[in-house]
Amino acid sequence: MGAILEAKDLHLAFKGVKALTGVSFQVQPGEFFAVIGPNGAGKTTLLNVLSGVYEPERGEVFFLGQSLRGKSPQERARMGLGRTFQGLEIFRGMSVLENVKLGAELALPTYPLALPRAEREWRLRAWAEEVLDYLHLSPFRHAPAGMLPYGLQKRVEVARALAGRPKLLLLDEPMAGLSLEEKQDLARFLLDAREEWGVTLLWVEHDLRAVLELSDRVLVLSYGEVLYYGPPEGVRQDPKVAEAYLGQA
Amino acid sequence: MFALSKRLTDAFSLRFARAVRETYREDEAYASTPLGRLALYAFLLLLLLLPLLLGPYPMYVATLVAIGALSALGLHLLVGGAGQISLGHAAFMGVGAYAASHLTGPLAPLGILLGAGSPPFWGFSSASPPSASRGCTWPSPPWPSSSWRTMSSRPGRRSRGNPGPDPSSPEVLGLVLDTPEKLWYLVLLFALPLFFYGKRLLMTRAGRAFRAVRDNDLSARVAGVDLTRTKLLAFALSAFYAGVAGGLLAGLYKAVTPEYFPLSVSIQYLAMVIVGGAGTVLGAVLGAFFVLLIPEVLNSFVGALGPEYAAQLAAWRNVVFGGLILLFLVLEPLGLVGLWGRVRDYFRTWPLPY
Ligand SMILES: Nc1ncnc2c1ncn2[C@@H]1O[C@H](COP(=O)(O)OP(=O)(O)OP(=O)(O)O)[C@@H](O)[C@H]1O
Ligand SMILES: [Mg+2]
Repeated sequence: MGAILEAKDLHLAFKGVKALTGVSFQVQPGEFFAVIGPNGAGKTTLLNVLSGVYEPERGEVFFLGQSLRGKSPQERARMGLGRTFQGLEIFRGMSVLENVKLGAELALPTYPLALPRAEREWRLRAWAEEVLDYLHLSPFRHAPAGMLPYGLQKRVEVARALAGRPKLLLLDEPMAGLSLEEKQDLARFLLDAREEWGVTLLWVEHDLRAVLELSDRVLVLSYGEVLYYGPPEGVRQDPKVAEAYLGQA
Repeated sequence: MFALSKRLTDAFSLRFARAVRETYREDEAYASTPLGRLALYAFLLLLLLLPLLLGPYPMYVATLVAIGALSALGLHLLVGGAGQISLGHAAFMGVGAYAASHLTGPLAPLGILLGAGSPPFWGFSSASPPSASRGCTWPSPPWPSSSWRTMSSRPGRRSRGNPGPDPSSPEVLGLVLDTPEKLWYLVLLFALPLFFYGKRLLMTRAGRAFRAVRDNDLSARVAGVDLTRTKLLAFALSAFYAGVAGGLLAGLYKAVTPEYFPLSVSIQYLAMVIVGGAGTVLGAVLGAFFVLLIPEVLNSFVGALGPEYAAQLAAWRNVVFGGLILLFLVLEPLGLVGLWGRVRDYFRTWPLPY
């Protein structure tokens, strides 16, 4: 089987600021793929292009062998491309369960009219509960998501995204601001999800140690350019990467 | 021995899984506890028997509140649910009332439904084209006031030429709806199903999509919610509810004229939503109760003070509304529902708050 995701020569600039210049890479099915780079390297911009929030000026993205050109974020989501955000982008006024149920809608086929259907709702609930249980969120199911502590809110977002049974999940700094223990928990959840539900993971992360420990392959960006693309062992040896990180420090 | 223990654990886990299922199912249904069900049935019975308990004037007020609550629920779907603002609510009620007043006689319920179907249509045809990222914007009010005037002047023209049926007493299956009781039942016939539908809707897919759009539209899109569709659905539903309420009002008022549906009525409904709060069905009912009963209470209050104050009543009413909206926005953003929730939680955990 070919790559699940392929980015070909992506370019995007914001009023002269080059956020992406000629970024190309492939993600294989079942992989734990990491994107790292100093602040402002274009990592979030890359995820926005992949998930359809921005259209690239040049280049193309292929998902499951299909071109994503012109597809809206919701169309991409229905194809199995999940996404979480840097910072907290959950539905604060909804309960944890509702957040996850909304995500789970993606896993069930849509129906044409907005007729409330008990059976459908019930299946959503069962699946949402499974995900909640998995991420140890069950005790908080009826709590308003916006009122939970930060670490749990981050987990709610991961739960919402996982509930849609994505084939590929894009995570934007899921571990930022978490304690070491919370980081380890989250890493375990993600690895388990890959194992059990066959989710391919692409994550953006600042914690270099976690990235080198967990990932199968790494893409290093700096000022929108690819500095390194390969196995994690090579990252520390690469002179260009060392320079980019030292230059920033 | 091993087989036995395995059988036991299997049976246990099966049993356990069932139990969990059952509780989830119960958790999903509303009024799932025996007490809750009892309260629901008692309330429904009370609604059905209300004409026996109240005199004609309180009955008139009750009908007004029920219609108001129905219309407020429509606005709740939009404002509390999808987080959109509409100042065209009264206009949609007006369209509903006007359309319904044309089909009376045994066809009155049909007239109300058709009347209710037209506001969403009016809304769609005047909605601005959806922009790619933000969904669409709804016109508020949906048409310039001049065209509203020409449209609503049509009933007058009609009465000059051919009088048409009198909208004040519609007729259902040979029953002339000339008494407050009969009108009350007509209101219940429409309001109860629509209330249950609204409740169910808010608890399921569409309601979640509404609130997702309200809370975070970027996240909603990435989670697969179609912004344009969701907003249009919320607007159409809200206009439909307004249309039904307008059609029912046409039966309550003696005539349908645009004076019954000015902009200030739209603001009154916004007040209901804000005072009621939280985008729930209960909020709509409480808000309508509160806002519609204030004038009545003020009336009797001012009447007791003396007739010279009565002239100032209208002005005072607006002051009271404005003050109320401010008070609720500042002190209790969740509205009466939030207040009620806190009182309930207090008693639920009483006397052991922790
Ligand atoms: N919407 C936008 N408008 C203008 N400039 C933008 C926009 N989004 C990103 N940029 C710019 O593009 C560059 C890349 O930003 P991006 O957010 O992708 O970086 P990042 O790698 O995610 O950084 P961080 O580690 O801080 O999250 C930055 O210079 C940023 O200022
Ligand atoms: Mg970023």
